Amino acid sequence: MPKNITIFTTNTCAYCVMVKKWLGAKGYNFEEVNIDQQPERQKDAYELSGQLAVPVTVVTKEDDTREVIVGYNLARLAPAVS
Amino acid sequence: MNENEVHDVVTIGAGPTALTAAIYTTREDIETLLLDKGAIGGLAAITDWVDNYPGFPEGIAGLELADRLQKQAERFGAKIDFAEVSSLAKKGNVIELDTTDGKIVAKAVLIATGSDYKRLGIPGEDEYYARGVHFCATCDGAFYRDRKLVVVGGGNSAAQEAVFLTRYATHIDMLVRGPKMRASDVLQKEVTKHSDKITVHYNTSTDKILGKDSKVVAVEGTENAKKKVTFETDGVFIFIGLKPNTTFLAGSGVELDEIGLVKTDEELHTNVAGIFCAGDVRSGATMQIASAAGEGATAALNIRKYLEELERNNP
Repeated sequence: MPKNITIFTTNTCAYCVMVKKWLGAKGYNFEEVNIDQQPERQKDAYELSGQLAVPVTVVTKEDDTREVIVGYNLARLAPAVS
Repeated sequence: MNENEVHDVVTIGAGPTALTAAIYTTREDIETLLLDKGAIGGLAAITDWVDNYPGFPEGIAGLELADRLQKQAERFGAKIDFAEVSSLAKKGNVIELDTTDGKIVAKAVLIATGSDYKRLGIPGEDEYYARGVHFCATCDGAFYRDRKLVVVGGGNSAAQEAVFLTRYATHIDMLVRGPKMRASDVLQKEVTKHSDKITVHYNTSTDKILGKDSKVVAVEGTENAKKKVTFETDGVFIFIGLKPNTTFLAGSGVELDEIGLVKTDEELHTNVAGIFCAGDVRSGATMQIASAAGEGATAALNIRKYLEELERNNP
């Protein structure tokens, strides 16, 4: 189980909805940072991912290592949260 | 995934075509599984606003339309699974699909994989992908608050997404290869309404995307096939048309046209019995959400007929 999960999203991003739905369906809790509502957090998303794109999902594991996944990428997201 | 289970219908894709087909099939108790590797709702879901889908006089956000279609399909029992299909083959009376979730078997398959945005194939496009080069305004536009942008293309998507991006960008240079836009009159008028922020450059090719310190700084183009022009920008959004998602059909025997779209007959049946195709990936499609939904309904009715015949001939 991850220690926590944070997702950077925007209001209009369909892939963000997909990531949230997928995590919700699997029973994972997550914190959402909507950069339309919190534009000052957009630099955090960029610094974490190196990309100007959302969704950015940050999975922090029990040992405090982090995995950053850009986009709706189940091939990376599923093992990261398991 | 149970490899021994034989599904009545599997749709490859879960955009408006497949969701509409699933509404029709599941409402008649035909068990239906939808497979998708990306966003439910397809390109419609990542379109900012849809003004021409019937029944919504004020228009509707693409994301909301996709969500409504999904809920309606699920209400009648459609199942959606997130999986990518790598190949399919007809084996006797069934069709076998190789997917990221294992082998899936179906009596009938609907190919509804739609299309993705085309790439320009110019220097800088891959190098700066998602770091200044984008294909989804509704996903990535928010990173360009108070920045300058270039939008490449002159069709409906380019016009609509340029207008959407004005909510963030200070200025947008829109590069249109031909002497006029291909976008609908309505969308061209929308672009004109935003002329304080959008400058349209006709007869301008897009040749190269330039960057510095891993960020895009400019786009080089050619005006009237002779004059080199440079547009300083913080990002580039590219909407130059669609390419069909049919790579997975290699070796399946399903016939494609010269640009890779799937050929069907009037009943939306491909040349392989039991494999149907509808929506943006079909040769002859009009690439509209309303017609994608219409084709989904037509395909569903013809699939029902096919399944009834299959049952009659194999009691």
